[in-house]
Amino acid sequence: MSSVAPAWTALSPALLLGLTGLALLLVDTIRPNERSNTSMAVVSALGALASLSVTVWFVIAGTGHADAGGAITLLEGAVKVDTLALFFTAIFASVTALVVVAAHDYFHDHQRPAAFYSLTLFAATGMALLAVANSLAVVFVALEMVSLPSYALVAFLKKDRGSVEAGLKYFLVGALSSAVFLFGISLVYAATGSLIFGEVASAVESLDALAGVAGVGIVMIVGGVAFKTASVPFHFWAPEAYEGAPAPVSAFLSSASKAAGFVVAFRVFTEAFPLGASVAAGIDWALAFAVVAAVTMTLGNFAAAVQEEVKRMLAYSSIGHAGYALIGLAALSTGSAGNEAVMGAAMAHLLVYGFMNTGAFLFVAMAERWGIGRTFEDYAGLARRAPVACTAMAVFMFSLAGLPPFAGFFSKYFLFMGAIENGFLWLAGLGAVNSVVSLYYYSRVVRAMFLDDPATPSALDAIDVRPTALYAAVVFAAVATVLLLPGFGPVIEAAEAAAAALF
Amino acid sequence: MVDAFAYVPAVVLLPFFSFLVALGAGKYLPKGGAFGGIAATAGSFLLSLWIATAVAGGRAYNETLYTWAAGDQFELTFGALIDPLSALMLVIVTLVALLVHVFSLGYMNDEGETGLPRYYAGLGLFTASMLGFVVADNLLMAFMFFELVGLCSYLLIGFHFREPGPPSAAKKAFLVTRFGDYFFLVGVVAVFATFGTAAFAGEGSFPALAEAALAGSGDVWTPGGLELQTWLTVVGLLVLGGVVGKSAQFPLHTWLPDAMEGPTPVSALIHAATMVAAGVYLVARMYGFYVLTPTTLAVIAFIGGFTALFAATMGVVKDELKQVLAYSTISQYGYMMLALGAGGYVAAVFHLTTHAFFKALLFLGAGSVIIAMHHNEDMWDMGGLKAKMPVTYYTFLAGSLALAGIFPFAGFWSKDEILYEALVHGLNEPLLLGGYLMGLLAVPVTAFYTFRMVFLTFHGEPRSATARDPEPVRWNVKGPLSVLGTLAVVTGFINMVPVQKVLGLEGIDYLHRWLDNEWGGIEGLSSHHYADLGPYSSGYIAGGEVPTVLVGAAVSLGLALAGLGLAWRLYNVASPTEHTAKLGGIKDVLYNNYYLDELQVWIAYRTEDVAGGADTFDQGIIDGVVNGVSSVSLLGGSRVRRIQTGLVTQYAAMLTLGLIALLVLLGVNGGWFL
Repeated sequence: MSSVAPAWTALSPALLLGLTGLALLLVDTIRPNERSNTSMAVVSALGALASLSVTVWFVIAGTGHADAGGAITLLEGAVKVDTLALFFTAIFASVTALVVVAAHDYFHDHQRPAAFYSLTLFAATGMALLAVANSLAVVFVALEMVSLPSYALVAFLKKDRGSVEAGLKYFLVGALSSAVFLFGISLVYAATGSLIFGEVASAVESLDALAGVAGVGIVMIVGGVAFKTASVPFHFWAPEAYEGAPAPVSAFLSSASKAAGFVVAFRVFTEAFPLGASVAAGIDWALAFAVVAAVTMTLGNFAAAVQEEVKRMLAYSSIGHAGYALIGLAALSTGSAGNEAVMGAAMAHLLVYGFMNTGAFLFVAMAERWGIGRTFEDYAGLARRAPVACTAMAVFMFSLAGLPPFAGFFSKYFLFMGAIENGFLWLAGLGAVNSVVSLYYYSRVVRAMFLDDPATPSALDAIDVRPTALYAAVVFAAVATVLLLPGFGPVIEAAEAAAAALF
Repeated sequence: MVDAFAYVPAVVLLPFFSFLVALGAGKYLPKGGAFGGIAATAGSFLLSLWIATAVAGGRAYNETLYTWAAGDQFELTFGALIDPLSALMLVIVTLVALLVHVFSLGYMNDEGETGLPRYYAGLGLFTASMLGFVVADNLLMAFMFFELVGLCSYLLIGFHFREPGPPSAAKKAFLVTRFGDYFFLVGVVAVFATFGTAAFAGEGSFPALAEAALAGSGDVWTPGGLELQTWLTVVGLLVLGGVVGKSAQFPLHTWLPDAMEGPTPVSALIHAATMVAAGVYLVARMYGFYVLTPTTLAVIAFIGGFTALFAATMGVVKDELKQVLAYSTISQYGYMMLALGAGGYVAAVFHLTTHAFFKALLFLGAGSVIIAMHHNEDMWDMGGLKAKMPVTYYTFLAGSLALAGIFPFAGFWSKDEILYEALVHGLNEPLLLGGYLMGLLAVPVTAFYTFRMVFLTFHGEPRSATARDPEPVRWNVKGPLSVLGTLAVVTGFINMVPVQKVLGLEGIDYLHRWLDNEWGGIEGLSSHHYADLGPYSSGYIAGGEVPTVLVGAAVSLGLALAGLGLAWRLYNVASPTEHTAKLGGIKDVLYNNYYLDELQVWIAYRTEDVAGGADTFDQGIIDGVVNGVSSVSLLGGSRVRRIQTGLVTQYAAMLTLGLIALLVLLGVNGGWFL
């Protein structure tokens, strides 16, 4: 189709998201006093779905695929649309759609909900841009474009102290991380003389005396990625931000924003700093990722096991999952044929994770909407009052833990198998041990909902509302989580194709 | 013309739908969903007839319908295999299931039972599972449906779950057959490991591969350099474990008499056409594999012959109608196993067919008597029912004559052929000859207990108030009885081999020709092929084939008549008395089923002791480790949790320290600072 349409149309998923955000602003400016929660939600959901449809269509039509003329580069090579970008754009658009639909009920009594939708859409635009970035400068700009709306979103409940405090902490840690990241970019530029990935890659092959400078820069870029993916030691913001933020925002940040961090990592480290050349220059960044992955998954899972609040547990579990996904970068070895498989599996895991984790946070949003408490005990007996939603939550929990027959089982299975076949048995083993730990705390939620009795008979009387849109979003996420199991074949094939294009 | 084979899945799915309907909407349907079940089984029956006609028209069907898992080594599939054997079995199963459904209207609905939707749902699923098993085209699919059949028998035997007996009997049936199925499962895995396929028929099927491998061509896996013949025997015996359990052969027969706790129509279904038949059918299905291993065949024959005699002796002393029938079932399936082990593939299928009809008839007849007697099953409370319920009496009598093997009823022909096969093949095989002798000895015993039952129930003076004034039964009981009664008389004529041999009339051995693919079938699945592969040669007594036939038939008929005569003398009197006391000490042994139940309980308790030891190990050491790990994890978790202090300045500090640590690690590793 690229022979017919102008090349810039390849960016239409990102453009659609951005235009929707602008349209929302426009409406809000013209009619500022109208409480237009519903229309806002509908418009943003339609925008996200339109973007998703175009993305899926592109994937099917083979835009940017090697068979259809290869990746489409724009703006002097600073932007590149390929299967990887489209794959992740699909994740972002799906999560955005789910979140804005759920937010409709969550913000039903909020004074001015309009800003939420435009901020979410702008953040999503930034993510889509991040997915196509082919230059370190674009990466930084897009990253900030994701971060700045995120800070505001976390602090969106202005009268809620927790929300404001979380927003501020997020902002401060984020500012530090951005500084580190930017410094890293400047060091890499100093050593290689370019910002375009391809040119950086060829310069890395002949670094000589500048290897130290480039190395420090690359480790700092690892730090920037770690911030976005909420990996140790840049994870400190995550538990607080996820807990304090409105639950739909937590869902958005822990699924889409995390995936955005990974798309940058996958692209930068395979295209700008190819492993072979980097290791030859003495910069073994896969080792750094291995250390980060191991510490992140262990810390996330072990900390999640001792939480009392469901939302905070999910926050830590989300850190743990970042650790799993990092295996996709850590378990690479020079010239190995299994690299595509393990990185593809990490991408597939992120897609599955996008649904199951978003769904879980949206269930928490529903609990907040109902006004029941936040701890495990408060969820006791919930299944009797809300069986459908609780079944969906059980699906999310078991899928997150990686139990068959849910999609989370397959994605984790492929990830660990890929790691083992690439010679990283220890990493897969650690992942398996962590999965066992995770089963403990995930099943606590299910046990509370289905087996325990409520503390008092009237404890659940608060559940008198049926937030339709939230329900729809949660159920849709659950159905997607289940359907991704039979549909896992195409997903993993697309993911491996995307990964194959990188090596 | 529409292809009959396209409807093979429908044969299985129709009863399955009736299961779903009865389960989901049975409460709102008239008769608790019975009509749905009747319609479904009738539909399956008609389709089966059509399919059988298609097979008679010279065609067969062997297709994979669905691949549910595919790997590098092998594929796991669902498929359908329709050849003369499975077509015949389909007709039998659907016909008996249909009649049992109709009969249930009288036995369950008219008696005001509760929980009918559950009952009809169970019947539907039971029928569907058995049909799925019959059409299975590979061993794994057969195993899955075999297990479903076991599950359904559990559900149906335990139908009256509020009483103490049925749940216990259901558990026993489930556990004992499961014990056999355990070996079966290992056998399925062994077949996959050995041949890489579990298909029953075709070029690449496992019997064909085994045959080729034994002939020296082809390559199959054997563990640890075991000799091929030995390994095939082991695999055959493993699968046989499931057969012994399901077909209630010694020593796993103990569940079957207890299973009489289920509603009588269920007993009819279990014993005639489904669960117990499944075991024998499985051996027949993969007979091409079993004929390759003479040891397995000998074991099958010996177990069969022994079970035939052994169960028959226990039937002699039982007081309850259904108990007698239960032991006769075990004994009759013993005959079928004897036939299979003796190389009499056709004889076994023949007996499976005739037995399906006359045993279903006897159980339904017993059910009719039980209705009349207000659910009192003790034969000593009956007597004189002959005049009060003539339809039941005459059909029951036809079934009994067939069971006892009296000329010209169905059972005579099939049993005679089994004994003939065992004799002619056994003259050179001592183990087989032993099986034959035991089978022969069982003949008079069978005739004796059968007619003891008939005389006690129907003849003489009524011995209780209910027997004097029995409750009448309706059309829905008499109808199925009449159909089956007719079949019990005439089914034997489909395979009159002795007549053919003696009179030289060619072509009246229809079943032989049917199973020999004379009309149609699949290459490699014919009785001729099996006979060529088999290890046996024929020997004759009294100087030739015809005299052997005549002598064999005369001896077995004479023995049967002797048993019948003894029963006549002892029990066909106005007020019969118990003669069991004359047996002395043997009586107790027989009453207590040779103390085999006690033996199994003893073994179970010893197993429990071993399990107790394992439990101590599990509680102390394994759980200790597990608990230790979890407390360490939780402790570690709370330590980790303390890092999260809530102070941003500390976060910034730790973040920077972490980054520096990474820098140092990579720097030292990469030698940047040198």
